[in-house]
Amino acid sequence: MLAGRSIIITGGSRGIGAELALGLRDAGATVAVADGPYDSREDARRAFSEVAAENGAVDAIVHALLDPDALVPAPLADTSEAAWDERGEAVLRTALWCTQAAYDLFGDRGGQLVLVTPTIGLTGGAGLVPYATAIEGMRALAKSAARQWGARGIALNCVAPPVELVGSVTGPDVAAPALGRLPDARGDVAPVVAMLVAGAFVTGTTIVVDGGMVMAP
Amino acid sequence: MTEPALSGRTVVITGAGDGVGRGIALACGGAGAHVVVMARRENGAETVALVEERGGTGAWVRGDVTVAADVERAVAAAVGAGGGLDAMIHNATSRRSSEPVRLEEVGAEVWDDHAAVSLRGAYHCARAALPALRDRKGTFILMTSPAGMEGSATLPLYGVVKAALRGFAKSLAREWAPFGATVNLVSPLAQTPAMTNAIREDPALADRLAARVPMGRVGDPESDVGPVVVFLAGGGAGYVTGQTLPVDGGRFMTL
Repeated sequence: MLAGRSIIITGGSRGIGAELALGLRDAGATVAVADGPYDSREDARRAFSEVAAENGAVDAIVHALLDPDALVPAPLADTSEAAWDERGEAVLRTALWCTQAAYDLFGDRGGQLVLVTPTIGLTGGAGLVPYATAIEGMRALAKSAARQWGARGIALNCVAPPVELVGSVTGPDVAAPALGRLPDARGDVAPVVAMLVAGAFVTGTTIVVDGGMVMAP
Repeated sequence: MTEPALSGRTVVITGAGDGVGRGIALACGGAGAHVVVMARRENGAETVALVEERGGTGAWVRGDVTVAADVERAVAAAVGAGGGLDAMIHNATSRRSSEPVRLEEVGAEVWDDHAAVSLRGAYHCARAALPALRDRKGTFILMTSPAGMEGSATLPLYGVVKAALRGFAKSLAREWAPFGATVNLVSPLAQTPAMTNAIREDPALADRLAARVPMGRVGDPESDVGPVVVFLAGGGAGYVTGQTLPVDGGRFMTL
């Protein structure tokens, strides 16, 4: 499905990012890992450009730079300003820098950007206020960028797995998965990312891949 | 005569020097609440004067939501005046909220301005208000926007922070539910100074806006948005939490 496609995956060396990288390779793509951290657009652009120099033009970027350590639940009242920033605003800033760097890299050729946004943003989660704040911000970032950059052939979408696939936490008990189990990142989530990367006529949306838990929207 | 809906209640409203924040302050004051107006500029005092014209009471606390100590002072003023706090209302946004911007041109400083007021401001409000809200089983109300729910081609950063506040509020609603405190969002469409300025520059904008609103007009902060906030801050909404209430004449129905 993705033979000849070149993809960069941020956060691709561990956790869900690593699983998605395997799944995208299963689909035939050339996948490069860019792990960050990215504290500026310039940092991200440099990392992405290095991949392009090696692998040729990049068709898609998958942003899966989700630090499992940011997912340690803590009441907001006990969250210091530094921790608020690290677990919340910094996650969102990094997504903004990577989105801008994707724009820089895609240029006039267009491309696909996929943001991995766990369903904890949609459902909310006690103890995970900063993280859910960042995730919902990322979903709107994808929507607004999709509106501004669509004319350049840049599509942005979000893929939302259960938060359990990202860190060792449990999301709110919304409902059991209708399909009877949690999804597998490589076998179940990566194919949905691959469908987007292949160039589906879809932009600004969120595809929930949770086996039928939240059933949103 | 029945008691006003917010009689004996105290509220803090951030960014209440003008626009939607002022309209909410006037509605709350008119409904009997003691209103603490948090604003960086003297227009906060004007809002309080207007609250008093409507027979209400209030106080202006000069402050900036990006500064934790300022928010703590506003909460202390509310608790000192009314013996407690019933509603914390975070309405303040960056001065740059209504400046159109291209995402590819956004720098770190502009982003931080949006994040500091909307997001760090919400964090400061939550932390400062929690002890008092827990005592009274009170409520925390935040303002969001269709720009957050459907994205925006003109105000992308505004959309990002307004969406982020929905993740914030839903999570905090779950976190505070065991205390009996609620957290909700209101998504208003109302005449604001920024909108009035934009219409002065581009008179056709008024018609374009109205055409996208099934009810055919842009709302009024005090008489259209205010009463919904009064409802959320009053005694009848204690079983409503984690929700987004669009108050926009039907502009956004896709929730």
